[in-house]
Amino acid sequence: MKLLEYQAHDIFRTYGIASIDGFTAGSREELETIGGRVRFPVVIKAQVQTGNRGKLGGIQFAENASELIEKGVTILGMSIKDLPVNKVFVTPKVEIDREMYLSFTMDRKTKLGVMIFSPVGGVDINQIVDDNPDAVVTLNIPAGNHIPKFMLQYAVDMAGLEGDLAEEFKEVAGKLFTAFVKHDCLLTEINPLVVTGDGHLIALDGKIEIDDNALYRHSEIAEYREEMTDNPLVVEARKFDFLYIPIRDQGNIAVVSNGSGMIMSSIDLIAKKGMDVTCALDLGGGATADRIQEALRIVASNPRVDTIFINIFGGITRCNEIATGIKEAYHSLGAVRLVVRLEGTNKEQGLEIAQSIDGNIEMVDGLYEGVDALAAGSGGVA
Amino acid sequence: MSFWIDENTRLIVQGITGREGTFHAEQMQQYHTNVVAGVTPGRGGSDVLGVPVYNTVLEAKERHDANASVLFVPPRFLYGAAEEAILSGVPLVLTIAEGTPVHDMLKLHHLARERGVRLVGPNSFGVISPGKAKAGFMAHRIFSQGNVGVMSRSATNCYETVFLMKKDGFGQSTVVGVGGDMIPGSTFTDVLPFFERDTQTEVIVMIGEIGGSEEELAGQYIKEHVTKPVIALIAGKNAPKDTSMGHAGAIVSPDGEGSAESKEGILREAGCRIAESTEDIVRILKELRG
Repeated sequence: MKLLEYQAHDIFRTYGIASIDGFTAGSREELETIGGRVRFPVVIKAQVQTGNRGKLGGIQFAENASELIEKGVTILGMSIKDLPVNKVFVTPKVEIDREMYLSFTMDRKTKLGVMIFSPVGGVDINQIVDDNPDAVVTLNIPAGNHIPKFMLQYAVDMAGLEGDLAEEFKEVAGKLFTAFVKHDCLLTEINPLVVTGDGHLIALDGKIEIDDNALYRHSEIAEYREEMTDNPLVVEARKFDFLYIPIRDQGNIAVVSNGSGMIMSSIDLIAKKGMDVTCALDLGGGATADRIQEALRIVASNPRVDTIFINIFGGITRCNEIATGIKEAYHSLGAVRLVVRLEGTNKEQGLEIAQSIDGNIEMVDGLYEGVDALAAGSGGVA
Repeated sequence: MSFWIDENTRLIVQGITGREGTFHAEQMQQYHTNVVAGVTPGRGGSDVLGVPVYNTVLEAKERHDANASVLFVPPRFLYGAAEEAILSGVPLVLTIAEGTPVHDMLKLHHLARERGVRLVGPNSFGVISPGKAKAGFMAHRIFSQGNVGVMSRSATNCYETVFLMKKDGFGQSTVVGVGGDMIPGSTFTDVLPFFERDTQTEVIVMIGEIGGSEEELAGQYIKEHVTKPVIALIAGKNAPKDTSMGHAGAIVSPDGEGSAESKEGILREAGCRIAESTEDIVRILKELRG
């Protein structure tokens, strides 16, 4: 789960990292209240889970309360990369002496945490790294719970930090790594890590992504999920422990299957035939008839979906349960085309039930036959 | 020959008293797997399916000379259960659960290596050597004994492949589910030398997918060390970027790292045959059979 910026600042503070303070607002009224409490000039920042918001107008400055309200309301009315802005974060403008970059993330090659540091940071970090790869250092941290001292010294020397500032940096890096481990993060990033006009370090902006599989250890974070602007069908599917994946806006086909691999294969084959999948739903293992019904209801409620491809290779999942679910859901799905492939446990029973459905369901024997049937019915390349 | 799981396997089932554990222990017994003991903390002294249950892996291992353990435990208990099996010196530990925190797997991955323990999974169907034994939850009826070694990140793509293989008379030597998570206990590269050495294996099938760099690393290894033909499939070519496709590991980063193009390029350069689909794997197998 990607956190919003102000939530990342909350976590930084929990670990004792000096972090920019501010107020959040979601309405004109809240902006008005803040107007009386902040020291101007301020920065107003859109709270969305995506980068580059500054370049898209999501970060603006205000010199006084009326500007704060006017610009704040504008940002609250925006969508950035399709994500509606429900909240802004208002912080005092900081005098910046210098910007650096610091993050910890997972290195899948070495299966270790990795520290990424650059003595130059800011919005153009990717460009900076592309232009000058030597401006960034990437160091694997051995499995354990602390960063070897020499790595911190290396970063300090690279940045030319001295005295108290060098010590402050080592502390911030240590704390950020502790947050990375203790909060089950996939990413903790401070960018920019700023040296202020009065010679101290402060996290001016940050990103945190937490491992969804570890949310049970962080109930306070799980609550943040409510604030996230997720696709409503993703949220609805999650209630039933399904994974709903938006694929392509221009598609018309929904794929419902019982495993991530099968979903990817189905999408690949369908795309190869010149058709477009708009969404997919992973039932997981062992789905019952009731759950199939819910799954079909969810994908059919996507207005772009006019065809559903149900592709089941059942081990734990039983084909008779799937067919019963289709039968019960069928008449409430509306005018949607159903292409169904059932393979594996209790296949014969499943086929019998499917054949008893009063309606037009295209049963296919195999994944490839299914994709051919989809193409034949849609004017695609059969 | 096969490897890891076979007629000499003496298997512990951790979590044997749970619903999934009992069900799959029985399935494994029906497949003639020698299940020697079960472990559930607090349930020591009882028995399930005629198998004695112990509180600790250490006792189960010592009393029954066990050489492998399969874990049917929920993801939040996986770390503790796997750590126990590794520290008890069980040489082969198979983890099944989907949804294990990645920081837990990071620690287990390195702990297993330090201790010389072979760790497989998680988010894996396990390991099967058809006709000999299985450790995991795979639907064993679709597998058959033969000369093709298969390793896969995905269970469903593997099922589809062995199902199609059977129709054309191809069976498997050993099938390894490396699992769909970000950090697997064993990678494709870890499994490759076993297929290369195994006399029963004549062709290797690698079913990969988008995300991470395991296929790229395997490609580098194949180029230098593997003499047997390798057929590789990368699923997820048409998946959107920066979106997890269900498997925690199946995600292409916004900058394109982990993309199918990168993987196929390196594998092709390493001399692998690239399959476009599960059906295509069988087509290439037929071509190789001549």
